[in-house]
Order: sequence, then C-alpha cells, then structure tokens
Amino acid sequence: MEIGQSAYDFELPGVDGKTYSLKDFADKPVLVLFFWCNHCPYVKAYEERVVQLAKEFGDRVAFVAINSNDPTQYPEDSFENMQKVAQEKGYPFPYLFDATQAVAHAYKASRTPEFFVFDGERDLKYHGRLDDNWEHPDQVRHEYVRDAIMSLLQNDIPHVSHVPPIGCTIKWKH
Amino acid sequence: MRIELLYYPECPSHERALELIHEALAQEGVSAEVAVVRIDTQTQAEQYRFIGSPTIRIDGRELQPQLHLPYRLTCRTFQREDGRLAPLPSLSMLREAIRNSEGG
Repeated sequence: MEIGQSAYDFELPGVDGKTYSLKDFADKPVLVLFFWCNHCPYVKAYEERVVQLAKEFGDRVAFVAINSNDPTQYPEDSFENMQKVAQEKGYPFPYLFDATQAVAHAYKASRTPEFFVFDGERDLKYHGRLDDNWEHPDQVRHEYVRDAIMSLLQNDIPHVSHVPPIGCTIKWKH
Repeated sequence: MRIELLYYPECPSHERALELIHEALAQEGVSAEVAVVRIDTQTQAEQYRFIGSPTIRIDGRELQPQLHLPYRLTCRTFQREDGRLAPLPSLSMLREAIRNSEGG
C-alpha cells in the first residue's frame, strides 16, 4: 500500500483467544502493524529487537503482529505454534492469524518481517524494514521504525517513509 | 574441495552467502570449486534435498543439517556460535567447516 493510504480494517483471531480489529487499538496515537511468522530466520533475527521496542513504547504505541503464511506448507507457522512462540518469547503484543491471507493481500504485504506504521488518523506514514542491520544489533545506524514512531509521537512527519522490507516471502496458498 | 551453494532467489541471503564462502576460503588459504545451484520449484527442492536458502555443502557434507525439516522454498535458519538465530552462517562457522573438511 502507498504512503498516506488509510489502514484496512480486519477481524482476526489472536493467540490469546480474543478477536482483534482496528478499533481495539483506537486509544493509541500510533499503530505499528507488522507481518510476522515463526519459521523465517529474519523474523528470528529481529525478534528480540521488536519485543524490546514494543515494551519500550507499549503505553503509547499499539504493536500488532500478523501471520499470513500458509501453515499447510509451513507447519511451524500454524496457529498452535504461534501460541507456543508467543508464550515462550513473551510477546507483549497481539499475534494474529490471517488464515485467509486477505489482510496480507489488502496491505500488499510481501515479506516477513514487514512493518507498517500509521499515525493517529491511521494513515500510513512508514513502510518497510525495522532497521538497517539485521545481523548486528550493535551496528545499527538507522532505526526506521523507531524514528517513525518518535516523529509521529511529536506530531511530525517521519524523515524516511519507505525502505524495502528484507526477509522471507509470505507463503501464499496455491 | 567442492562446495555447493544452493539458493532460492526469493530469499535475499544468497549473494552474501557466496561472498562469505569466498572470504572463508581465502582466509583458510584453500582453493575450491564453488558450484551455485538455483532452486526455483518444489520439485527441484525435493530433488536437491533443499530445506531452505542458503544450503551449503562442503564435499557433500551439509553445514548445519536439519533432518526434521521438509524440503521447501524458503529462507533457512542457522544457529550461530553465540546461540543467535540468523539467515546466514557466520564466517567463523564456514571457516571451521572448511578446516574440518580439509582435515578429514
């Protein structure tokens, strides 16, 4: 989706047994929606950083992870395994299952991980990767998602609005 | 020595994987033929016993084999020496594998 477009609404089950839609995050001035999964090594490389970021900004920013992968081909990404990973890793954000893949299609998502940062009006202000170094957290120079969050919390426009996501492709159903 | 790098082009790690292989060979002072095999289909994944990209085999021995995983088109996870999970092996893992193969 294009920068400036409005977030698409959804109704998806979370690993906590609840069903989530955009209205559940309406009290937060920033929404970070990201496509995620269990099996992808890029997700694993970024996992700790995302959990820390969500803990740091959780009182002001809604973080929402969505897994759209086809679990018939990639059983690690099944709903049951999502529940296990979320519990083991202590995810501080809802982890939702997009079984029909309709949400991934609506957002034109293609990778895991892939981040969409929305402002209070739920218009897209940043799209792409978390930062510029998946391999070495201590050598990151540009924290794109963090910078976008900080800008939006200060009612400013992020300096960078798009950096192509890096990661595994979303595993579409055949 | 013969090294095979099998990759799925939709996974972005293969170019760096090839660089790492060449760096490891140079640092170990070893010359080797590096065969690069592109995997595009599930049929090829099964034919080449490919569980993800990149798959690296040194004299037929796979770096970090994961026998429980199915053959499929995706990125592959390596566990580094420090326990971190990553889409690529570290340079030192590759160097050690080359040394072990030379010695063996």
